[in-house]
Amino acid sequence: MGRLFWKFFFAFWLSLLLAGSGVGTVVWLHRQAEAETETGPALSGGPRATVMLDAAEVFLRRGGSQMMREVLREWADAPGAAQLFVLDDTGRDLFDRPLPGDLRAAWSAGDFRRGPQSAARRVVASDGQAYTLVARFDRQPGHGRPPRRERPSPAQPILAGLLASLAFSAAMAWYMAKPIRSLRGALRAVSDGRLETRVQPSMGRRRDELADLGRDFDRMAQRLQAQVHSQQRLLHDVSHELRSPLARLHAAIGLARQNPAKLDMTLERIERESVRLDELVGELLTLSRLEAGTPGGPPETIDLIEMVASIADDAGFEASASGRAVHFTGDGEVSAAVQGELLYRAVENVVRNAAKYTAVGTAVEVRARRLLSPEGFEVVVSDRGPGVAEADLEAIFEPFYRADNNRGTSGYGLGLAIARRAVSAHGGQLRARNRPGGGLEVTLSLPL
Amino acid sequence: MSRVLLVDDDIELAAMLREYLEQEGFEAVAVHDGESGVREALSGRYAIAVLDVMMPRLNGVEALRQIRAGSRLPVLMLTARGDDIDRIIGLELGADDYVPKPCSPRELVARLRAILRRVAGPAEASTSAEPLVVGPLSMWPERRSASWRQQPLDLTSTEFSILGVLARQAGRVVSKSEISELALGRPLARFDRSIDVHVSSIRQKLGARPDGSSWIQTIRGQGYQLVKA
Repeated sequence: MGRLFWKFFFAFWLSLLLAGSGVGTVVWLHRQAEAETETGPALSGGPRATVMLDAAEVFLRRGGSQMMREVLREWADAPGAAQLFVLDDTGRDLFDRPLPGDLRAAWSAGDFRRGPQSAARRVVASDGQAYTLVARFDRQPGHGRPPRRERPSPAQPILAGLLASLAFSAAMAWYMAKPIRSLRGALRAVSDGRLETRVQPSMGRRRDELADLGRDFDRMAQRLQAQVHSQQRLLHDVSHELRSPLARLHAAIGLARQNPAKLDMTLERIERESVRLDELVGELLTLSRLEAGTPGGPPETIDLIEMVASIADDAGFEASASGRAVHFTGDGEVSAAVQGELLYRAVENVVRNAAKYTAVGTAVEVRARRLLSPEGFEVVVSDRGPGVAEADLEAIFEPFYRADNNRGTSGYGLGLAIARRAVSAHGGQLRARNRPGGGLEVTLSLPL
Repeated sequence: MSRVLLVDDDIELAAMLREYLEQEGFEAVAVHDGESGVREALSGRYAIAVLDVMMPRLNGVEALRQIRAGSRLPVLMLTARGDDIDRIIGLELGADDYVPKPCSPRELVARLRAILRRVAGPAEASTSAEPLVVGPLSMWPERRSASWRQQPLDLTSTEFSILGVLARQAGRVVSKSEISELALGRPLARFDRSIDVHVSSIRQKLGARPDGSSWIQTIRGQGYQLVKA
């Protein structure tokens, strides 16, 4: 149990105790006030005693002491009946029954109102004699009207309330503190590198801000995991790609050692491989700069249509050597302030890629145009090459992606990855789709 | 003249290695993907195959699995340096040895020769036609064949050589570096687990002794020992 648990626990408990004692005090005050206004104990005999007194009064007035005597004899046998004393002026009972001490005291004080559990009335009988009627209850349990209920002891409810509030506070504190504890554990696990940690399962079907927090945490962990994974793969790919030219360098050096007569040729090879290594390292640096979001310098205003046209011209000239062509369509002028070199490389990579894959004897179409709503610029590059498997349409923009069937071709699979990142750096998009009739169509769109 | 099959998707590298091997007196043929590699390897026209692990479509490990399903042709794997998983999987699948890439062609040739020498059989073994018998194991070094409890024992050439070294010194502890020198023809490199992988593969083929322990026992820090009974 952490500190937070105890904090929640005591906060809940304290507020429950305060609320409980507040309510208790109010109720107690209320009852106290009620007791003040209650009719005195003269009526504490209740309706039954009053009825007996009424009856006795009527008997005494009409029938005199003789009749009273008979009635009293009857009543004496009735269970649960109140004890009725008929006292004359000297305080003697009609039957000579001894008066209980408390009633006698009340008699001598001349005040029955304060007497416990009794009621009194003064009556003049038909024979002219004055009597005092005193009704007294039998205190035996089960007999007569139950005495006024005792005020219950407050100890039991207080104890029950205490226990209930303890249990409730503990449950509440646990309910609040537990998800925070599991979040904390998850954070620690992630910082220890266990990126596959998720807290959602431990949240169960909880739906509140804490559960939302858990969901956000899971999303973050997932993103981190994906990123770390892609970085690791990139590192793995980079080392593999660096190794291939190195392996060729080793082989070339071996050949030179083995047969010094071929030294010139192998030196040429060694040179070629070191140039390749240099290119690869350069492209990797560009890629990592783009990923880090470092801009390549201040933006410059250039005509995008003209830029694409010149790239298409250059690529067309080179492609013509292998029986391929590059056709450009687009007119007008689209001036924009951009990272000229980055965008140039992006378009160039896409166009050269298309020129590399389009079938011999076919042409790459490059169309550049201004978009109106929303304002933008678009380049569509379509080739008549083998296209890409539908599942790989996104993967071709990943570093080192190479279709299985073109391992032998030159390049490292970094061109399109660089292009996409360069376009994203300008807030644009680079997408690919297969053309009907074969070939790949890559669309570069930029907002202006 | 030994025919070497080179399977590597790097066309230029394969061409240079072929040139180097031919200068060294091998006859070399290069193919550039796993599928044709397997096809060529199973054709029976080669003395040994050099197989790159990283290849598109059918990678080296999978190609090795398919070759081993149909042939005991000695195979030398080219693995990425530091990629232990590929190396160990390769050895477990029955590769005879591996060379980390990039490697100098000289080292490649040395490994090739070591394996080919082993396969040809040690010179001293050819003097006796008598089998080497240790418990239920019989080995005929000149025929490169072995039997276990009268059943033919299917071993790769490297496994055969290692078991041979242990059998000749049965009952004695043979250090890993001695096994490496005698069976693989090269000194033991640091962190080299290939002997262990080969030994565990042999253990599986021999099965357990009646009391459940292994016929080849590991003496920690010293080496391995083939128990006599």
